Amino acid sequence: MSDRPVLHLRDRAAKALKDEQMRQAVRKAVDRLSGNKDKAARELPNWEEWREQTRLIREHTVDHLDYYLALLTQNIRKAGGKVHFASTAGEARQLIAKLCQQYEAKHIVKSKSMVTEEIHLNSALEAAGMEVVESDLAEYILQLAGETPSHIIVPAIHKNRYQIAELFSRVNGEKVEPDTPALTRFARKVLRDKFMNADVGITGCNFAVAETGSITLVTNEGNARLSTALPKVVITVMGMERIVPTFEDLETVLSMLPRSATGQKVTSYVSVINGPRQPGDIDGCEQFHLVIVDNGRSRILADEEYRAALHCIRCGACFNVCPVYRQIGGHAYGSVYGGPIGSVITPLLENDMVFWGELPYASTLCAACTFACPAKIPLQELLFNLRQKRVSAGHTDAVEKFAFGMWKRFFKLPSTYKFAMKAASLGQKPLVKNGYITAALPILANWTNSRYLPAAADKTFRDRWKKREK
Amino acid sequence: MTDIQEDLSQENMFLQTVANALGRKTVLAELPERQEAGPPAFWREQKFEEDQPLALFKSNLEALTGRVAIVRNGAEATNQIKLWLKVLNAKSAILWDHAKLREYIDSTRLGVKTAFWNRDTSRRELIELAEQADVGITWVNYAIGYTGTVALFNGENSGRSVSLLPPTHIAVMNRSDIVPTMSTVMRILLERRGQGALPSAIDFITGPSRTSDIEMDLSIGVHGPFRMWAVVIDD
Repeated sequence: MSDRPVLHLRDRAAKALKDEQMRQAVRKAVDRLSGNKDKAARELPNWEEWREQTRLIREHTVDHLDYYLALLTQNIRKAGGKVHFASTAGEARQLIAKLCQQYEAKHIVKSKSMVTEEIHLNSALEAAGMEVVESDLAEYILQLAGETPSHIIVPAIHKNRYQIAELFSRVNGEKVEPDTPALTRFARKVLRDKFMNADVGITGCNFAVAETGSITLVTNEGNARLSTALPKVVITVMGMERIVPTFEDLETVLSMLPRSATGQKVTSYVSVINGPRQPGDIDGCEQFHLVIVDNGRSRILADEEYRAALHCIRCGACFNVCPVYRQIGGHAYGSVYGGPIGSVITPLLENDMVFWGELPYASTLCAACTFACPAKIPLQELLFNLRQKRVSAGHTDAVEKFAFGMWKRFFKLPSTYKFAMKAASLGQKPLVKNGYITAALPILANWTNSRYLPAAADKTFRDRWKKREK
Repeated sequence: MTDIQEDLSQENMFLQTVANALGRKTVLAELPERQEAGPPAFWREQKFEEDQPLALFKSNLEALTGRVAIVRNGAEATNQIKLWLKVLNAKSAILWDHAKLREYIDSTRLGVKTAFWNRDTSRRELIELAEQADVGITWVNYAIGYTGTVALFNGENSGRSVSLLPPTHIAVMNRSDIVPTMSTVMRILLERRGQGALPSAIDFITGPSRTSDIEMDLSIGVHGPFRMWAVVIDD
């Protein structure tokens, strides 16, 4: 995640707030997704019991990750696959590029994967002279547009069908109609061809199963199936925490992931891949490689205060209930992972409390994310702790520092406090309208632009009290 | 070109880092004890009535635009598929060369050009045949009532392409192989693992290929089949 936006969070958010089309699309998406999720949660008996079970499974796995990683590695090898480890994004990129070169790959198809976004894989492979095609419809759209995902489940939600038709028409050389079935048909045709001719398929990993050495891929489109069935080489990239211990655990996380993400009982396709094809098999890959990526995760693991962030199953439910995400959309976060979970893991993965440390402020701390999380990650608590961490490290805005410095100075003693309140009551006079400070004071603008700041009372409480006592 | 080998020293260092992060000096070598595993207890222990799995399977798959035909024997199953092929105006079909499918379905009576997925034909040709075929026909190892899902095990004569590349997928099954939940299939797979390796791929398929990536508009048939229909043989 070396790419860092130029603008700070406040300015990225301000920019996003002006994009009415994007905001409308985001509102529609999150309403639909969270509404469907609520329905799905009601339909599955004992939702809270499933959530607790998910939490227990994720907690147990993460707390014993060394054991399960070793077990997974052993079982992938037993099934005939190869396993590689990358401590950093750079190592992962280099390793995957070398693997592709070893197989003399020219054409690569990818199915949706956040971890490959995180390590900026595509540009590395393209720089090595390979063609890389994203096959998830939304990712394909974004690749053509040269943009990044704005939602973890529906990555191209910020684009409308007219913009998509324009992109597709450019590829096609003639006009593609801006209606959904025509656009889908066009993508099917173009991408089917890419699948048929791909040398290497690259996938992410929803869940690996340690006891069986399986990789589970969850899609609605079927692109992960195509990416693993047709090319002779498959490379799966996974963040090191994406494991469950047993096959039976899989039913729990697979029950929660689609329901929490889109409200589906199950996605159209759940593929469980066990290494390369076996003697006699006709389709499926000849070579299977698993690349396990750390890239900052071991740092989160070591910090018990934040370890629960690794319990995430990447469903996006926290995005869909977040009042901040609803207003600013995914790009304003500026990071690969947005929404509440992204605001937690980005500063930690990047080990940067200054720039990325701003992200935990993209939250109202309303805790809707915590209640939506199927793994019961206490997101708002983690967001709050991160703010605290940032402040105690001394990374606070000059204005904020000044304001709280004054607060400390005047509020320490009753005499100075009394003076301050009197002064405020008199000094604010030209700014007050109907009992609120609404004027755009340069120093207060960030507050008054988005909130009502009540004016200080004419008579202070102390004065009124004194009068009453008399 | 040098061969990229697995780097064992890198692997040891990586696992050591993880162990250290968890406060351990060395990588945990023994299976850790756990309190809870798998789905919640109530889910594992629930009882289903005899007719429930099939009824659930039918209603769940139909809710996803699937069609489910329940027939009594192979001749009826063959007729049903023949009828559907006609409705689809299909010219060709590719079938798994599966013993059960051969037993129940008379491919000579389907009225279309048929090909079988087996080693008599090369990989390249088979994939192209599947790509060109109007319909792919598979035999279902297990179906799951609760979600309307079919589970297909990859094997020598049961390639993944048959359920994936043609625009229509017809899955044929015995009624007795419809189980209520995924847990049952998982348990069977685990028992299988005791006897040997799992198949190289297990595909759980629930309805057609779909997407809502464009303006949250549901669109069917992105990469996989537009139609996923099922024939249940109740004999």
